[in-house]
Amino acid sequence: MPGKIGTIKIRIPRVVKKGDVIPVKALIIHPMETGLRKDKNTGERIPAHYINEVTVFYGDTLVTRFDWSFAVSANPLITFHLKVDKAAPLRIIWKDNRGGVYEKTVQIKPD
Amino acid sequence: MKEMQRDRISRRQFIKTTSAACAALLMTGTLPLPHHGASAATGKDGKGADVIEIKNIKEVLRKHFGDRKIEMAHVKLKVPIIAENGAVVPVTVTSDLPMEKDSYVKRIYIFVDGNFNPYIASAELSPANGKASLSIRIKMRQTSNVRAVAEMNDGRLYGDIKSVKVTIGGCGG
Repeated sequence: MPGKIGTIKIRIPRVVKKGDVIPVKALIIHPMETGLRKDKNTGERIPAHYINEVTVFYGDTLVTRFDWSFAVSANPLITFHLKVDKAAPLRIIWKDNRGGVYEKTVQIKPD
Repeated sequence: MKEMQRDRISRRQFIKTTSAACAALLMTGTLPLPHHGASAATGKDGKGADVIEIKNIKEVLRKHFGDRKIEMAHVKLKVPIIAENGAVVPVTVTSDLPMEKDSYVKRIYIFVDGNFNPYIASAELSPANGKASLSIRIKMRQTSNVRAVAEMNDGRLYGDIKSVKVTIGGCGG
């Protein structure tokens, strides 16, 4: 997978109309390390490093909040839906267990 | 004649040794894992727990939902029948439940019976989602059931359950 940790891609339909329920796809590059794996060479345990919270804001409203365990796959890709009722930024924020915060905003402009 | 015999023996031996190696691989691949899980320490997960115990799916469900009944309706879980790589299993949860202001799906949960911690992920939704559906990719340790549970804002629970065969490992499991 190309890109470094925290690289984000958000995909929404190109044409959006008011009242539509659109799918939103969001991908982030992250190792999602469980803390159970061992380094093959040194035998040491690889410390846990995973995203445990994802929040989605549409304008100022919190639309969705994800609560994850480490059993979500590396480079998590999520798809959820959003009801378009205004022109507003869609902001997605990922937080991991080591204090890492990654975020990206896309503009939703219904025709 | 002698050469033929030698050939036959060597082939037999080949099969014997490879099957033994295969069995050994399977043993080392699966048996020590529960031990790892039992004593494994992870970093902070934000909830204060730093030791992972192997949790029973029934206990986990009771912890989340108490004694409430989960009705097997309205929620549809889409998973592969066979997952070639247990580290990436795509899961899609869809439902025909309403997403109106006074009646909506508050939360969708995903559980895997066979993982150390069956709780995988959950999503708090709101009527602004317009549709109670969700796709995510999860890790599965072994062949087991995957469960999706949708909790309505009034506390009603709907769910679905599907079995996924995980075939990671050298011998095709």
